[in-house]
Formats: sequence, C-alpha cells, structure tokens
Amino acid sequence: MSDLASKPAALTADNIRAALDGLLERRTDQTRLTSMGAGSDDLDDGRAYLAATVDGGWHVPTWPSAHGGRDASVAENQLIGSVLREYVVPDLYPFAIGLGMVGPALLAHGTAEQQSRWLRPIASGAEIWCQMFSEPEAGSDLANVALSAAQDGEVWRLGGQKTWTSRAMWSKWAICLARTDPEQPKHKGLTMFVIAMDAPGVDVRPLRQMNNDAHFSEVFVDGAVVPDAWRVGDVGEGWRVAMTILSHERAGAGSRGGGDGAKRGSRIPTWIADLAALGALDDQVRRDEAMSIYAADMASRWTTQRAADEARSGGSPGPAGSGAKLRTVSSYKRRAYLANRAAGAAGMLEDGHGYIETVTAPSMSIRGGTDEIQRNILGERVLGLPGEPRLDRDVPWRDSRKGML
Amino acid sequence: MTAAPSNHIARITVRTAPEPVVVDELITETADRLFGELCTHEAVQAAEDIGGAPEIWQAFCETGFDLIAVPENAGGSGGTLAEAIEVLRLVGYHSAPIPAAENGILGGWLLAEAGLERPDGLVTVIPPRATEGGWSGGGTCSVSLNGDGTAVLSGEAHRVPWARSAEAIVCVCECNGTSMVVSVPASECTITPLPNMAGEPRDTVNFDGATGQAAPAPTGVEAGALAQRGALSRVALMAGAIEKMCQLTVSYTNERVQFGRPVARFQAVQQHLVWAAQDAALVRMAAEVAAREATRGDAPFEIAAAKLVANQAAARATKACHQAHGAMGMTQEYPLHHFSRRLWSWRKEYGSDAHWSAVLGEMATGVGADGLYPLITSGTAALG
Repeated sequence: MSDLASKPAALTADNIRAALDGLLERRTDQTRLTSMGAGSDDLDDGRAYLAATVDGGWHVPTWPSAHGGRDASVAENQLIGSVLREYVVPDLYPFAIGLGMVGPALLAHGTAEQQSRWLRPIASGAEIWCQMFSEPEAGSDLANVALSAAQDGEVWRLGGQKTWTSRAMWSKWAICLARTDPEQPKHKGLTMFVIAMDAPGVDVRPLRQMNNDAHFSEVFVDGAVVPDAWRVGDVGEGWRVAMTILSHERAGAGSRGGGDGAKRGSRIPTWIADLAALGALDDQVRRDEAMSIYAADMASRWTTQRAADEARSGGSPGPAGSGAKLRTVSSYKRRAYLANRAAGAAGMLEDGHGYIETVTAPSMSIRGGTDEIQRNILGERVLGLPGEPRLDRDVPWRDSRKGML
Repeated sequence: MTAAPSNHIARITVRTAPEPVVVDELITETADRLFGELCTHEAVQAAEDIGGAPEIWQAFCETGFDLIAVPENAGGSGGTLAEAIEVLRLVGYHSAPIPAAENGILGGWLLAEAGLERPDGLVTVIPPRATEGGWSGGGTCSVSLNGDGTAVLSGEAHRVPWARSAEAIVCVCECNGTSMVVSVPASECTITPLPNMAGEPRDTVNFDGATGQAAPAPTGVEAGALAQRGALSRVALMAGAIEKMCQLTVSYTNERVQFGRPVARFQAVQQHLVWAAQDAALVRMAAEVAAREATRGDAPFEIAAAKLVANQAAARATKACHQAHGAMGMTQEYPLHHFSRRLWSWRKEYGSDAHWSAVLGEMATGVGADGLYPLITSGTAALG
C-alpha cells in the first residue's frame, strides 16, 4: 500500500533527516530564537515552518495522518522530536494553543466532523487559536467562570467577558469555557464551545504587558451565536475538557520550538555558550549557578521523557504536566536572572543582555496556572494529601456567587 | 577556651553616644504630599513615554529639595545628608521620575566641594565604573587639562541619568595623578538617549573634545567616595520602592477574591506577603543606619552592607510581590511594574551584589577573627 511506502516501518534518525533536510534549515551554534513569543509579533516564520512540515506530519507526528500528523507511536514521536532539535524550529508561540492544547482536546473529545474541520489548519499554521478561559473573577479559581451560554434551538447564545486571553488578536477560533447551568455546582454547570473570533458580538481589546508586548486581551462577548455542532464534549462536561486542555498546556510549556539550542554534536547549550562569551563563567559563583541550572534541566528532560514513556499515546499528561511546568518555569527564571546579572550594569538598559527575559520572567510562574496551583495539583493528585477546604464545591454556582458578593 | 570571651569583651571600646541624627518631620510630610499629588500612575507612565517629567521636576525645585544637603554658601538649600536620603526614599516610594540624587547629593555635592560654578539648570553625574582595584571616576572617558583651569574630555560615558535634560555633566576623574572634578556643558556633548528597564533616561554621552571647567577634588571627594554616595542614594530609592510595592501587594491580595475568599487568606499567598514585608523593613533599616553614619562621617561598611542587602532584597521582594499579584501585576495599566522595573535597574547601579560582597569580604578578612564581631556591631568605627 502507498501508506506503507510513505511511512516505513523502521523510522530512523537518518531517514527523518533525509526528509527534513529538504524542508528546514539546520541549527547552528549561532541560532538564536525568541521564547514564548516574548518581544516578538512574528507570525510568518512559524507559519512557513508549519506549512513546510504538515504534509509529512512532522510537527504533530502522533496526530492522524488525515489531519496533519503521521499516526506515530510515542517512541517514533520522541525520535522525531530529538531530530527536530537539530533544525531551526521557530518560536511557535502564536500557534501553541492550537498545536498543544486544542488539537489534543479535539482528538480526545471532538466529533469526527470537528476533527476534520479544525485539525489540519492547526497543523499547517493556517488558523490560529486562543483559549477563552480566564475571567476577571475566574483566574486561579477557573471553575468560577460566569460567561453564559444559553441554548436557542440549534444554536447557543454566549455573553460575558474573558480576560488574559493570549493570542486573541491573531486568532480565527477560540475554545471557550462557558456556564450553561448556573443551578449546578460550579464545576458541573460548564460546557466547552468553539467560537469564531470574527463573529458578530465578539470584541477583542489587547492589554499591554510590562514587557511591552500586547499578546493578552480582554474579550467581550455579547450575544455571539455558536452552532450546537461546535460544542466540544457533552453539555455539563466542560470542566473535564478544560482539564484535558490545561494538562497539555502545562506539559507543553517546554515543548519544541523557539529558544536557544545547539547544533547537532555540540554538547553545550547556547545559553551557556553566551554566558561564556560574556566572560561570566570565569566567576565561580556564576559558574556554579549555571551548572546547577544545567543539571536541573537535564534531570527535568529525563523526567519528562520517562512520564511520556509511561503515558498512553495521545493520552492526557495529567498531573505530571504540573511537575513539568514547575521545572520549566524555574529554569527560565534562573537563566533570565543569571544572564541579566552577567551583563553587569549594562543589563539595566532596555537593550541589555537578558532584558526581555527578565521583564517576562515573573509571568512564567503565573500564566497557565500559578506555581501555587501546580503544587496544589501535585499535592492532591500525586501525593494524595488533603485538599484545601472548598466550601463552594457542592452548592449551586448561583448561590456560591451570592455568598461571595 | 575559657579566657577567650573576656578577651573579646575587652576589645569592644565603649564610645560616648554620638549626636543623634534627626530628620525634620516636615521634610517627610512635604515630600510625601508633593509626590503623592504629582506622581500618579498616569504621570509616571507619561514620563516613561517622553523620557522625562518637567512639571514634576519644576515643582520639586520650587520646594528647594533639588539642592538639599548642598551647602547654602554653594547655592544649595542646606540640610543634612540624612534629610536628602529621606527625600530620596520618598522619590522611590512614589516612583517619582526625576534625577533628584544626581542633581543634589551627587553632582551638586561634587560642584560644591570643588568650588565650581553651578549652572541654572539640571546637573547630572557620570557614574563611576567599578574596576578591579576600586572605582574609575569618568567611566570610559578621559580628561586632559589645559593651563587655564579648563579641561577637555574625550571618549564616551555610559548610562548617564537624564543626560538629555541636563545643563551640565559632572564627573570626578584622575588627571596626572590628581583627582579632579570636571563640569562640562551638555550642549558641548553628543547625547544618545537610552532607557533603563523602567524607561528612566540612562543616556550615552559622547564628549569628542568637549571643554569644561575643572578644579582639584578635595580629600574625600574621590571616585570611591562618589560611588559610596551613589550607592547610598540607590539604597534610599530602593527602600521606598520596596515599601510601596509591599503595600500595593497587601491591598491587592485583600481585595482580590478567588475560591470565595480574599487570596490574602491563603497561606501560600501570606508567605509571599511576609517575605516582601521583611525585605521592606530590612532595606529601610539598612538605609537609615547607612544614612545616619554617612551624615556623621565616613560609612564604607554601612553603605556596602546596605547596598548588598537592598540588591538581594529587591530580587526577593519583586518575585514575591509579582507572584502574589498574579496576572494583574504584569499589565501596564496596574502600577506594580513602576516599582519592580525600577528595582531591577537600581540594583545594578553603583555596585552589583558581587562588588559589595567582595568589599565586605575584604573588610572582614582585613580586621581578622578578633575584629569581626566589633565590625558587625560597631561598623565602620571598628575599621580603625
């Protein structure tokens, strides 16, 4: 069958390279890319990379080949990932919600029709997604969302406000957590929808961050209409879908694309090479800190790999994602502060070494769930420790709100 | 072993209590009210956008605070160094976007000590550069003297606060083995505007043969002394900024409700608040002790310790306050960033953690084992 011809049974690093060499540039020691979109509004590099790799299914190998993947096993996915690190993979921050969260959620909870409509444009970079989760009164307490969805025949009418919606101004679609039954306890009356960002009644207002990026927005929704066919999962199952999405977000915090790297064969990460070039590693204290970060990074990479080996192909990362996020955030922050300290007094300037990372670093332990929330998840779901007392868990959401206000 | 404690006690000399250093409460009240009215969130943001706040500076000058601690016979407002430091603490507390330290206790001090003429407008100063053996006064520029009391500067100086708005740029530098104070009209220089992390001007100044006035620096007015004053000024600014940041965080976490209660009721959040409060108290105390001792005389130990404490506290407190605020603290529309970005910049000025750690280490090893405890308890006085 042609299927077998295009996907040899024994996928090797060499035949992956043979395929990628025609599509992508190799990384060099000079390759420097942005991380998590900080300081950049570039969409073109990511789009060109995804368009080049979608036919081979190289970026999302575990997805079905019909939808931009190549039906890869976990082991094949890891092999492809390690080979991809030898190539210039741009910072895919603008595309990360679709690739890392909505895609897996649609594969887990979406209908065949939804998968056919939305997955391939995600994998090809043609359509950008955002997640409309947080609201002014629902941040760490995400289950408190108030944006309402009311059924009206074959459609739903949505109204309310979201905030901290990253990438909203680039997005064609959003996955939106809405309250469909305020009489249910807060985790139970929620449903997940897909909403078109250009629909009447959807108003995106960007918020400027202290690092001068405007990647987050407030989104006001007033009577926007969503067909019932765009509901993801059953009515009242929104929290379960949201948890799938969030565990992928956490696990994906350190996924492929962007940042510094080293060409194949070089054992020294570029961030360490940069510190050495600044002369910063002549100092014993800084060398000690750099090696401590490096050791933690290696341990984190192996821990993530072990968790992936244990997980089912395409399954939800679960609480392991929380551990991965904590480690990735800690590493980013320590590297940012070390780089900025190494720059000396010149590091105070806006064009100084490590500037954009320093003013972005505080957000890392907040976005996608704070460190405190991640530790709660690990404490309760991994260690089985008693949870925080939650007085509002079993009362109707409408009543719990009265008590609060 | 039994004899050792009495030996140590014998080494501590009892000094007569020094004169108390008192800061007039009226200074605190006046500066607090002035900045409280003028340094609104919007005004501080606007200053960042245009690279200055002429109206705030004008109002500040009308109070005479611009020349506090500069002697009246040198055209200053009089007052003590401790009073100038108190004003700087309030500059930091309100994130007032003005060069109060540069014009007064740094540049103004250099001109007064050297007997050089003070221009009508703003005076700024070239920050000394930390070197292996101490401090180099002119940054990366060099000076040659003419016979007639004028000096010619060449090269560049980096990160000069508010140079773009200054009338005169002042530095202290070694010239033929003598320490000289040099004042150059800014109009003679090419100035490239650059912002620090908080959008405050830290400009590059290219001299390229600019001519200015020069006079010998009296004893005690060397680059190292300027660096100590500069460090003390940053400690005062940082003490104010950490205190305000801490207050903002306590207010916000008591208002912000999640899971049906204010987030300040969660222990995980309370820990952040306590870290920040400890750091606010620590830096304020370090600033007050250093200012008091510097007002009485030399205070190299107290200033070194205070800047190190402030630098380290700034890192901890910004981390704690941002984390407790969550996403709100990352937006430009909420004022937390005015303080955190200033703290990240100020901790890099007038000596890094590593620099002041090394200075303190040398003092400690210099006095030896028997001198360590007296150094900790009596500070500079124990250095002899």
